[in-house]
Amino acid sequence: MKKMLLAVVLISVMILAACGGGADSETADGKTKITFINGFTGGDGDFMKKITDGFNESQDQYVVEESQEKDHYTKFKTGNYDLVVIHTDMLETFKQDGMIKDISSALETAEISMDDFHPAAQEYVTFDDGVFAVPLDIHPLTMFYNKKLASEPPATYEDLMALSKKLNGDDPNLFATGIPSAGLAEWFIMTIAAQNNIDLVEDDHMNLAQEELADALMIYHDMVFKDKISPPGLGLDGEFQAFMKQVEEGNSAVQTATSLTGPWYYAAVKEAYGEDLGIASIPQLGDQKGVYGAGHTLALPSSVNDEDKMAGIAEFLKYMYQPENLANWAESGQAPTHIPTMELVEGDVEKYPLSAQNIQQFDSFVGAPKLYQYREQVRYLVENVYPQIISEEGMTKEKLMGELEKATEQSKQVAETAPQ
Amino acid sequence: MRISRTWSTVLFLPFLICFLLFLVIPLAFGIYISFHQWSIFAGNGGFVGFDNYISILTPGTVFGDAFYNGLKNTLIFVAISVIPLVLISLALALLVNSIPKKFKVFYRTVFFISYAVSVTAVSAIFKWLFTGNGGYVNNVLNNFGIGSFNWLNDQPLAWIAILIATVWWTIGFNMILFINALDEVDENLYEAASLDGAGAWQQFRHITFPSIKGVFVFLTIITVIASFNLYGQTLLITAGGPGQSTQSLIMVIQQMVFSQNNLGIASAMAMAMGTVMVAIVAAQYFYSFRKQ
Repeated sequence: MKKMLLAVVLISVMILAACGGGADSETADGKTKITFINGFTGGDGDFMKKITDGFNESQDQYVVEESQEKDHYTKFKTGNYDLVVIHTDMLETFKQDGMIKDISSALETAEISMDDFHPAAQEYVTFDDGVFAVPLDIHPLTMFYNKKLASEPPATYEDLMALSKKLNGDDPNLFATGIPSAGLAEWFIMTIAAQNNIDLVEDDHMNLAQEELADALMIYHDMVFKDKISPPGLGLDGEFQAFMKQVEEGNSAVQTATSLTGPWYYAAVKEAYGEDLGIASIPQLGDQKGVYGAGHTLALPSSVNDEDKMAGIAEFLKYMYQPENLANWAESGQAPTHIPTMELVEGDVEKYPLSAQNIQQFDSFVGAPKLYQYREQVRYLVENVYPQIISEEGMTKEKLMGELEKATEQSKQVAETAPQ
Repeated sequence: MRISRTWSTVLFLPFLICFLLFLVIPLAFGIYISFHQWSIFAGNGGFVGFDNYISILTPGTVFGDAFYNGLKNTLIFVAISVIPLVLISLALALLVNSIPKKFKVFYRTVFFISYAVSVTAVSAIFKWLFTGNGGYVNNVLNNFGIGSFNWLNDQPLAWIAILIATVWWTIGFNMILFINALDEVDENLYEAASLDGAGAWQQFRHITFPSIKGVFVFLTIITVIASFNLYGQTLLITAGGPGQSTQSLIMVIQQMVFSQNNLGIASAMAMAMGTVMVAIVAAQYFYSFRKQ
């Protein structure tokens, strides 16, 4: 009998030990704790930490506990946080799912107005029923170029053709730029759509079965197979890898003089090229200037109701949006969309080369459409259709239209899963 | 030493609790969820009967297409991977078994060590090796005048790359089981056979193989199950590409949960996948042991 009792006790202890305790909203010394989650696991994470640490040291009423996680959306969905970084293309989804709420009151307390932000940034955080996030930055498709191979950054399709012809003549493995079949596929697609002024949204889904879009996408096909501007066969992150490769004797590598890629590769390309690295706006491949990309915003989870926390969040935002503090974020290479900070950055291009350059692309920036589960709506287009355009020489406009119709159908079905 | 009934129950209890908590209850809960519309945010949206199953089994819908694509890719991988994984490990085991005793332990360890490496590291290595643009394998092939291949962006090259990575990674485990089975075979049988003039192949066919048949069938079954669970390699080496052609069923289920937030559909897919696996393994089992 005693043994039985002991056994039950041991096992109960074992089970209870497995259960975690609850989170507390106050630190040991009575300060209000604010949990802040983001996905900044790369080099830029250190700069956000600087801002957070700076805030914590500047006052003694609140403490911001920052978590930088690789899968931060999953953690956010299943956890309990007071402030979250959300990409611009995910805001509509989180808003419709009721995960985030109107942040206007916090902004008012923090003395931040929407007019303090670039119009492109205002656009994606403002909804019919309120402001649901505060813009942090925009990271558009960026052009890095190798000054040794391209003294001037190419600005048009013709420039790219001329550059590629010249480079090809020097070495058949040298090209002007690289078009990848995966990785930044969505950015390439949306950029050419923006440059050709194509409206891809119909009601609550993507209308991709448009002749104009097929024509626009075939530009990339021509770049690879017709005009030989890009080497064929570039895959996941191929545009970055080809830029980093060096063409050598007997080596099978191909190299490009420029790379249209994400600005997060700045540290790597800077280390490889040093003084020979140039940064520029992406060239105009279509009818007009235009660039796509993503952006970060700070959003307020619906679960935050505590008045103390709300006040703390407002204080944190007020601190962060002082230009001298937000400039830390620009130092990481990100391009803040806060106008006073933009002015500070543009006044010191030496210190903020990448940020200052990308700020120049804001005026032609086109962000993601505000659609429910946008990323899932374009999944078929991005993962299945686009690679065919880049990899298959025999791809025709007719075949492409068929695939675009299928992609539109899938997009509609995903849109139907929105909460009613 | 007789163990008292009480004590044996106590020792068994932790396993039973874990088994219930982490296997039985989630399985039952999963079946329950698959009959409901269930979102990660909104929770239980109501009983929908077989709607989820109909969605995933209807071709032409976004869920049906995803499910069939994942299932098709997974079945392709099972078909191409099981035979190499079983036969190459058997060959390795026979090889290691026939070398002098003092080298046996060394080679056993060498071939097994790859199994201890995590899938992330293995994928990183093979992705780097098979990169189309100036990757190591292409450079070597170039040096021999064969030219380069677009390993990760063309089929069937992508499957070959994934297969090579998987074989290199997991062959050690099967090999060890075969070595153990081979150790059990009575040495005297070989002596008697060679006295009768039997060659190496005949010895294998009539002595070795029948003796290890049980382990052989067991390994084939667990290799099929392991291949069905393909996830890490296709996620990290090809990211489901080119053109979603290496997107395994588990990858699709993961997308349904963490991107589409649709637990109902994901659970239905998982149940369907489990059913397919059980059917295939049962068929294998009965085929192998039908005479017994």
